[in-house]
Amino acid sequence: MGAPRNLTRAMLAFGAMLRASGLPVTTSAVMDAVRALEAVDVMDRAEVYLGLRTVLMSRMEEQPAFDRCFEAFWRFHAEEGEGLDGLVAAVQPVRQEEELDSGAIEAAREKQAQVALDDWDQGEAADDEPLEVPGLSDREALMEQDFSTFPAEQLDEVARLTVQIARRLARRVSRRRKPTRRGGVIDLRRSMRANLMKGEIIELRRRARRRRKVRLVLLCDVSGSMDLYSRFLLQFLYALQNVFRRVETFTFATRLTRVSDLLRGPSYKGALRRLTEVRDWSGGTRIGESIREFNQTWGRLVDRRTIVLLLSDGWDTGEPDVLAEEMLTLKRRAARVVWLNPLLGNPSYEPLTRGMAAALPLVDHFAAAHNLASLRDLAAHLRVR
Amino acid sequence: MRAEIRKIHEMMESADYVTDPAIATSVHLAMTLKKPLLIEGHAGVGKTEVAKVMARMLGTALIRLQCYEGLDAAQALYEWNYPKQLLHIKLEENTPHTMSEKEAAIFSPPFLIRRPLLQAISATGAPPVLLIDEIDRADEEFEAFLLEVLSDFQVTIPEIGTIKATQPPYVILTSNRVRELSDALRRRCLYLWIDFPGFDKEVRIVTRKVPGVNERLAREISRFMETVRTIRLAKVPGVAETLDWAQALSSLHADHLDEELVTETLGCVVKDADDVKRLKRELATGGIGRFVAAQS
Repeated sequence: MGAPRNLTRAMLAFGAMLRASGLPVTTSAVMDAVRALEAVDVMDRAEVYLGLRTVLMSRMEEQPAFDRCFEAFWRFHAEEGEGLDGLVAAVQPVRQEEELDSGAIEAAREKQAQVALDDWDQGEAADDEPLEVPGLSDREALMEQDFSTFPAEQLDEVARLTVQIARRLARRVSRRRKPTRRGGVIDLRRSMRANLMKGEIIELRRRARRRRKVRLVLLCDVSGSMDLYSRFLLQFLYALQNVFRRVETFTFATRLTRVSDLLRGPSYKGALRRLTEVRDWSGGTRIGESIREFNQTWGRLVDRRTIVLLLSDGWDTGEPDVLAEEMLTLKRRAARVVWLNPLLGNPSYEPLTRGMAAALPLVDHFAAAHNLASLRDLAAHLRVR
Repeated sequence: MRAEIRKIHEMMESADYVTDPAIATSVHLAMTLKKPLLIEGHAGVGKTEVAKVMARMLGTALIRLQCYEGLDAAQALYEWNYPKQLLHIKLEENTPHTMSEKEAAIFSPPFLIRRPLLQAISATGAPPVLLIDEIDRADEEFEAFLLEVLSDFQVTIPEIGTIKATQPPYVILTSNRVRELSDALRRRCLYLWIDFPGFDKEVRIVTRKVPGVNERLAREISRFMETVRTIRLAKVPGVAETLDWAQALSSLHADHLDEELVTETLGCVVKDADDVKRLKRELATGGIGRFVAAQS
């Protein structure tokens, strides 16, 4: 197998470029790319493009980034028809550009992270410490207190309790049924072995039927009016994302952002830093438009085994009609739609905002989310019929 | 264009599958690199068809594994034929065979039910095409199991031993994106996204598959579908719907689209009550002209 060395080098550089653009390109994929180039007409630019795309792309969403990289890779020397030579010749300049780019991005990232930390560091706990349960009386008091009234020194405690609640919730939702002697499905294979010499099946062996799992989709309002609650709710989202496997998380204010991957990780601090980069955390809320965006782009994440949790105070500057329509779409697809509203903890609150009024009839469960107790009580509603 | 790719292109066309260079290139690479090809796309764009055509093209068997929620190894790989085993035990009741002899007898290949994955692995002769359809419907646990099988194409059956494919099958996986697939699975596969066909391709599909439709009607149908897909619907119609509709129009001896005809046959195009309502509203306000007028 004599793949020219410069071809391999070109593909390695191209792979690095794709990785820098966020595509998960492995070295073995790069080796496949080299083999793919041997199997296509390398003088035919369109064919090289299609071939490399087949090997190096792994989901449709990556296509814009892939196209940009491919374009950049060919830009330097490859005029139409110049083929592989252009590809190889393009390697050097691209390398430099890439370094430059990633350096600039790194610097910007650092700066943003600093801003984020200024904002949030008072609420930081050392996330990796084992969970400690505070004394019962303290704990009860904390459970009932409204999030917005916590003094800074109690935030650590609250964060820990939040994680604990999320863990319990996740366990509750995903627990498998215990094996029983009756019920379940008959395990013929084991029955057959157990009764081999008896001539007929006397004793049936059973196996518990596997419980179908529930999936969670979290949509969290992070607009200005939610500021007092966002940090607790985000902590809750972070905890859920990391203890419960089948969960997807989105934040929204005026636009929707998928943050599942950003929340994943061992440290909450790190997650927050990543979240800050995509921050859209102030200004108005357009719940209807945000849910529309969700339905259009991510609707496939929702099925009859999915519970959608919407965390928002319902202050909507968008059109109530849009919200009602999109809630209906969501309700049709999902097993349950649960709306958590931190304002509901206030006894004098009535869900009279236009948005809330439009959405309320389409929600399966409407609950408070202003203190730890309300998050804890959520478990009862996270079940699929 | 590489000769092999052109040949695949031609063979697919002659197998009545209207294709494009992207599909032909991906199929060629899947065969050359011997890697599974993951095909994603909206419902009804002809993902499954690729595997069928590939089998026809290669003159080899198509083995299909239809995925669904709860699919497990017993359904996908192999299972023992319990009724047959039971019968055998009963028949052997008074023979002098020992326990281990009886056991060896009933756990031998004649009592094995080969499910699609095992069929594909144990196939003799030309490597078959293994179609794993709608992998997104299976559970994540099954995906992990499948990865294992796809990585070395061998299966160990405790009672019989290890069976290894002499020639690994060509593997096509399809997904409607009901669920995100794991990165591990994606890494293992080549990737092809099949979008809704462009106007020209759809015209070719219609004229090829529904001979009763004339050129003008085919163009109008395709233009109409192109416009409909830009409207936000609960279920965006695919090529399957286009063909249903063309078939219906052809049996009504239509030679062009008009508003009445479209309204009457709208049920072929969209299949959701709200979508029908929405489309009727669009038709009432914009008229048919908006849908069939040449765009740009």
